Amino acid sequence: MGGVTVPTTVAERHYYSGMKIRLLVLVCVAAPLFAQGNRWWAWPADPDPQAVERGRVQFVTSCGGCHADNLTGTAKGPNLIRTSRVRKDADGSAITAVVHAGIPAKGMPSFQLGDGELKDVIAYMRWAVQKYDRVSPGAPPDDYPIERLLVGNAAAGKAFFNGKGNCAVCHSVTGDLAGIAKKYPPVFLQARFLMPRATKPRTATVSLRSGEKVSGELKVLNTYDVTVVDGGKPRTFAADEVQVEVKDPLAAHKALLPKYSDDDVHNMFAYLWTLQ
Amino acid sequence: MTKPTIVLLAAAAVLQAQSEWPSLNGDLSGRRYSTLKQITVQNAAQLAPAWQFKPASGASVIKGTPVVVDGVLYFTVPDHVWAVNAATGKEMWHFNRPSRGDRIANRGVAVYKGKVYFGTPDAHLVCLRADTGQQLWAVPMADVHFGYYMSNPPMVVGDKLIVGISGDAGDVTGFLKAVDPDTGKVLWTWTSVPKWGEPGSETWPSQEALLHGGGTTWVQGSYDPALNLIYWGTGNPHPVLNGRDRVGSNLYTCSIVALNADTGKLVWYFQPSPHDTTDRDATESVVLIDGIFRGQPRKMLAQASRNGYFFLLDRKTGEHLLTTSFGPQNWSLGLNKRGEPIPDAKKDPSPAGTLLQGSGTNWWVPSFSPATGLLYVNANIGVWSLTYLTNGAVQGGLDDHQGGRESALSPGDPALLALDYQTGEVRWKVGYGNPAGILTTAGGLLFTSNSNYLVALDQTTGKTVWKTNVGGPASNAPITYELAGCQYVVMAVRDTLYAFALPESR
Repeated sequence: MGGVTVPTTVAERHYYSGMKIRLLVLVCVAAPLFAQGNRWWAWPADPDPQAVERGRVQFVTSCGGCHADNLTGTAKGPNLIRTSRVRKDADGSAITAVVHAGIPAKGMPSFQLGDGELKDVIAYMRWAVQKYDRVSPGAPPDDYPIERLLVGNAAAGKAFFNGKGNCAVCHSVTGDLAGIAKKYPPVFLQARFLMPRATKPRTATVSLRSGEKVSGELKVLNTYDVTVVDGGKPRTFAADEVQVEVKDPLAAHKALLPKYSDDDVHNMFAYLWTLQ
Repeated sequence: MTKPTIVLLAAAAVLQAQSEWPSLNGDLSGRRYSTLKQITVQNAAQLAPAWQFKPASGASVIKGTPVVVDGVLYFTVPDHVWAVNAATGKEMWHFNRPSRGDRIANRGVAVYKGKVYFGTPDAHLVCLRADTGQQLWAVPMADVHFGYYMSNPPMVVGDKLIVGISGDAGDVTGFLKAVDPDTGKVLWTWTSVPKWGEPGSETWPSQEALLHGGGTTWVQGSYDPALNLIYWGTGNPHPVLNGRDRVGSNLYTCSIVALNADTGKLVWYFQPSPHDTTDRDATESVVLIDGIFRGQPRKMLAQASRNGYFFLLDRKTGEHLLTTSFGPQNWSLGLNKRGEPIPDAKKDPSPAGTLLQGSGTNWWVPSFSPATGLLYVNANIGVWSLTYLTNGAVQGGLDDHQGGRESALSPGDPALLALDYQTGEVRWKVGYGNPAGILTTAGGLLFTSNSNYLVALDQTTGKTVWKTNVGGPASNAPITYELAGCQYVVMAVRDTLYAFALPESR
């Protein structure tokens, strides 16, 4: 099946974001093997988006008044996300039967929807259940509304940029950051000004006991091994026999994280958002 | 250092010397400590491959911990069980029961009276004949359609199987069940989230809030036979990141609970993360320690938790003895009078994003050595993220089980920590730790995975005495056992099990 959203959700689950990068390596190996059969719903993943949208309109009109537009229920009708009959309905027949007959004892009237309309309603319900069962938070979508993010004070953000944040040491709002707000979705910009994606690799200088120094791109650094690429050639050393001095292009961003208040974050975002 | 002789005094009650590895954590204390000592700090450098086993089919990543009973090693991946000769690595049988459900991991089997038990992606408890692998029965423990699955095997307590449940989707509620090993019949059930009106429900604002559930029980607990108490950690409340709709401490989520093994009744609880809003569940191993605390012999329980705190409790009464932090965070205002962290509401996920720092550990099991008095934990230190409360702002107004989103900023530093149980102090630390389990032995060794290697360290100092690179970090927890005078250590890397031993002992 096409709905191979499984690997990322699986990869991100059950541990805090910190282990994400490290474990992704492990999980990716496994992903193709367990992508199949990972669903617990009784129906195929990823219903047709157009059917879902038609079904949403129909559901809101006919059902939302009692069951809520998002299926989570109201005082007048139960939560359908948590309803066994919905979740186990592999072929749609159970939902069809209830819609056609109603449940008079509980005050649910019958609805005479056409086959096509009903099919769309069922597609929407399945989509809603799948969305509800979200296994991992993940990052907000790119269309996360700007008005939710824009709660800070741009002038205070500018002061932080030039003052406490020391951002102006490396960056310029008329240089590298000119028009930055046009380049990225707002929610992406907020995360990335705090911690950009590295555009340059880490480098290191390895000092050997002999006095020789080897410098280059840092490929491996762990408890036991250091590998730097010196003139195109990888050289590996035992970590406990050398001194390693690492240059991380993101070091200033990492050092700044503990210094931000949430207000600083929102003010800085408001300021950067002015750089349209 | 802690005085080893004092620590050892009372250890016998829950620690029995055994030559095999008969249950997930070796015994029911959660310590993952073996009394075997053929392999020692002095000779571990000579460890060499004894056998390896790569299943012909079915295995993706082996995340399960093998169990060894009567010379047979049993291990799993979701839907599959293998029995192999523990001395040679030769396959004896393979069982496959395809099912639909979450297959993120399977942690292994339980073995009891000639039968093998394991859980499945479709939340069934399956019973096999240990000698042939033939299925005797399969009984549902929960309804897979709601997102429940089983990743952990049951824990054998007396003549019962204690079953925990996994699931992090939708409004699932965690539980523990006691099951008859002959029939699969459920004898009692304890649920992590109470019904409205029951004790604990006063820590939730409404019946509707309770119905979102939480508190799954997906890491195996421990058991004290003298007190007849089962100990277990529970997972986070729901919606995961939205605490506004569930004001209160949300018992018994993110809790450590003690249950009477005969009745399933709650005897005491302690809550490592009251009112959690960022998936800081408290399912991690609950490790039983008998020893000295402030001059008095005590029966204790320790947990290094996902929230970055180390907790030490009296396991008879639940009395709080010690809380210390093993990594930086910015969400706690300190401790309440019970020794539980007080979450700062200002650091809850928010519509505009909250800058969150955390530290902690997770499902990979720690180990406690009574010889050193140290609890060894693979932890992650100083993780940064932005957390968002989304309430209706995503997926066309459809709120979900998560209730929010999280943007990763900086992944933190994984490290192996040696925590002094009496003070919580970090006695030593080795960087570049892996999300892998830990084993300690009476040979003075600590087995785990670090960097790209399988390693043995001196448990007193953290010094590496043996390492081998077989293609990556361990994907499970190490075990050890002795057969025909030879001590084996077994770990998995990806889809293969690797056994090591001293060449002269084989």
